Amino acid sequence: MAGEESKEPLSDSSDECSDQEPTWIYYRDRPEWNDVVPVELNEGPFPVVSIAYSERFKDIFNYFRAIVLKNEISERAFELTSDALELNPANYTVWQYRRTVLKGLEKNIQKELSFVRRIIEDHPKNYQVWHHRRVLVEWSGDPSSELRLTEIVLAQDAKNYHAWQHRQWVLDTFKLFDHELEFVERLLEDDIRNNSAWNQRYFVVKQTSGFSEDIISRELTFSVNSIKKVCNNESAWNYLRGVLAHYTTGLNGHPVVEELCQFLDENNSESPYYFAFLVDRMEELMQSDASKRQVLLPKADGILQVLATKMDPIRREYWLFLSRYLNSQFAN
Amino acid sequence: MDDCKEFTKEKHAKYFLRCLNALPSSLVSLDSIRLSISFFAISGLDVLGRLDLLDKHREEYINWIYLFQILPNQDDESLERCGFRGSLAATLSLESHSPSHVGRSVNIGTVSSHPLDTSHITMTYAAINTLLILGDDLGRLQRKGILAGVKALQLENGSFAATLEGSESDVRFVYCACSICYILQDWSAINIETTTNYIINSISYDGAIGQDKNQEGHAGLTFCGIAALSLMGTLDSALNLKQKAKLVRWLVSRQQSGFQGRPNKLPVDTCYSFWVPATLKILGAHQFIDRKRNRQFVLDTQCNVVGGLSKWIDHSSDPLHSYLGLAGLSVCEDTDLVEMIHPALNVTMRAFNHWKKLTSEFI
Repeated sequence: MAGEESKEPLSDSSDECSDQEPTWIYYRDRPEWNDVVPVELNEGPFPVVSIAYSERFKDIFNYFRAIVLKNEISERAFELTSDALELNPANYTVWQYRRTVLKGLEKNIQKELSFVRRIIEDHPKNYQVWHHRRVLVEWSGDPSSELRLTEIVLAQDAKNYHAWQHRQWVLDTFKLFDHELEFVERLLEDDIRNNSAWNQRYFVVKQTSGFSEDIISRELTFSVNSIKKVCNNESAWNYLRGVLAHYTTGLNGHPVVEELCQFLDENNSESPYYFAFLVDRMEELMQSDASKRQVLLPKADGILQVLATKMDPIRREYWLFLSRYLNSQFAN
Repeated sequence: MDDCKEFTKEKHAKYFLRCLNALPSSLVSLDSIRLSISFFAISGLDVLGRLDLLDKHREEYINWIYLFQILPNQDDESLERCGFRGSLAATLSLESHSPSHVGRSVNIGTVSSHPLDTSHITMTYAAINTLLILGDDLGRLQRKGILAGVKALQLENGSFAATLEGSESDVRFVYCACSICYILQDWSAINIETTTNYIINSISYDGAIGQDKNQEGHAGLTFCGIAALSLMGTLDSALNLKQKAKLVRWLVSRQQSGFQGRPNKLPVDTCYSFWVPATLKILGAHQFIDRKRNRQFVLDTQCNVVGGLSKWIDHSSDPLHSYLGLAGLSVCEDTDLVEMIHPALNVTMRAFNHWKKLTSEFI
């Protein structure tokens, strides 16, 4: 049987649990479970990637399999899923069956939200718990705890992808955008380099006002102010470009951007993102106006050489490639 | 390259063999997906050029994988459940567990016993790849069932879920679906147009691909999207030159020593040494990688005592990061250390050539 060859030194924390919980009784020893025949795992005589399950784990999952095969919808089945999930919250079959039982018993959703919240706090990067949470909110139609939950998780890890994903779904489904820009700004005050927060900002603007001319100016100003404080921040530059993509004249011409470039130039700012931006601006100008090529090409080339040799040598091959590319496009 | 740490190939081979044998109980969360762990270990041995270490038990490994296949019922009922389970922990069939069944020397799988006894798309993907790597002729694959299973998982917006019920849907499973269809050379089960559009709609304002629409651009998810487009043959129609150029710059910017998964996310993590270079390779832009710096980092993540690679330096090793770190070296063409890999399929070129030979025999 799988795991039979495992040695006890691989014993796990759930064995320690049973040491600390003298009241734990194996399902196989519970008289009220006498009617159930446990289903043991058997992957044959050649076990592969076998896991050293604890006795408790084997017992619980043997009974879980049996209960599902019986399609038993009952309180004891529900509690069994709780036991199973405590040991392996990544078992998606257990979560799915739990949902079946929840529905069948018409159990209280608020209590279940508390249950899954505790597991999220312990396993914030587990796909199954976040999916379960989403399904519960879909059932209840009640998003009132979700912003707070994701805020708490993000307070532990401001870039937790699952938390951001859940939060976006809640905001969009229930139209709760009212205070989200403030939330994003608080996070950016904590960490101006939080790429997830910048992404969230774009999402909020996109889903609410959209990128009208006024909003474009506002958002450019926001990112420009950020860049003036911390120039070497890829997230802010990506955001700036993302917003500018909605502006019809490209990287050149918007007054907010022109002012930024002037400011950075006067301050002798140095950052690979700024310099790459300058090169891209020059490329656009050379593309639209051939008369500018003679002046701009050597300038762009000069910047690319600085990037390749001094400022960003890990990307040397890339900057040199750009230089060759621009020369092939714009040299006489 | 002599200021790099020594490459302890034999230790890593032993590490993968140990994973194939048993995992510590601390990894019990992998219980439902053990088949995918076997992929990391077996493909890992292949990338190390040490698949010979499995020769003695090759047929047994193949047989073990087929154990997880879900067969169509009589009258082809419940075809949509077909594909592969991740382990028998995820299956409920009494028949699967009976000694008379599992003692067989030629497994073909079992019929689904219950609506929750269904395939998981990532496991179907892993099973097919691993069988190929082991040199199987795929003769026991239930192609009709597998494709019906994949088809049933596609959503209207083009995305894919992992299981018939109870699963999220996103670009990771899109990649699995495309890989399966590519290997089986059968695109009838999926809607290429909606799948392509779904990926395009997941492109972030920064040029990279997120897990789903509006989500943050992420290197692993970008690989899934770009590799899927490449396998479907819609990469060039989906992304214009400007979009490709923007994405190349985003990818190239991920390198710090090794690679990060998102802008400003540190420390760098070994698995991105595969996701980023593989995507660049598919886009024809891998020459922009600083191979030496990546190699230095990846070799620094080697675990001295148990072998394998870890996600960060001085951290414990795990099967996923061990495999992807090595696959990353392969994509970066460190062929003095590892074998060459197919960047979109994520199997060695040797396994890919075996597939080509098999496929030419089908036609």
